[in-house]
Amino acid sequence: MKDPTFWILARASGLTAYALMTGAVLAGLVLKSRPFGRALKAASVTDVHRFLSLLALGAVAVHGTALVLDSTVKIAPSALLVPGLAPYRPIWTGFGVVSAELAALIFLSFSLRRKIGAKAWRKLHWATYAVFAAATVHGLRAGTDSAHLWAFALYLAAVGSVVFATAWRALTRTQRPTTQGGTRVPDRDRSLAL
Amino acid sequence: MYQIAIDRSLCSGFGSCAELAPDVFEVDDGGLATVRVGRSDDPAVLEAAAACPMAAIQVIEVEAA
Repeated sequence: MKDPTFWILARASGLTAYALMTGAVLAGLVLKSRPFGRALKAASVTDVHRFLSLLALGAVAVHGTALVLDSTVKIAPSALLVPGLAPYRPIWTGFGVVSAELAALIFLSFSLRRKIGAKAWRKLHWATYAVFAAATVHGLRAGTDSAHLWAFALYLAAVGSVVFATAWRALTRTQRPTTQGGTRVPDRDRSLAL
Repeated sequence: MYQIAIDRSLCSGFGSCAELAPDVFEVDDGGLATVRVGRSDDPAVLEAAAACPMAAIQVIEVEAA
């Protein structure tokens, strides 16, 4: 009988990465729309946002490594980098590859923000929604455990909370005063502000 | 005494600095933070610098003139 350790690890780390990424996205949205006002310090939320993002990428790395080491599904190291190379559900595993690569790029962009400029950084940060959507599709369609009610509930809770936080962000966007004098920033200038 | 500088090319207009140290920072009409006074002894500037999500605020401790 084959040792199932890496197979179990791959599934667990995939779900862990998804949960951590959802947490990172939610922390980012809390940082942006400040639903708790001054009760949460912006600096602490920033730290949580970055730390969860890093942990999520770490879990993704464990996920990929475990899949290569496991023999239940034959996955070559190259299939972790090139979408569609995995023989198992190539389209849906490809979503996972694209999601992970884009997530890594967004994470690294923070260190490069001086080089690429804040505008480009902000635009790139919008791609986080694509990362989240691709990871959700990947998990639902390629995940072994997705048929279980508990796994489906996890995806539903994640999507529901991100949709809710995004709606909150959109609805409160124009109501947030940005100076103590009460002058509001014109919408056109904030259209790209994250 | 602290000397304060903002890298405006990095500022994304979160406004945390103006909230934490309103005597030192403000958000201008363009949505970016500006420094109202270049020097201050208000320790809130340290908190404001730490709170900046883009790490765009630089605070240097200097001798009081």
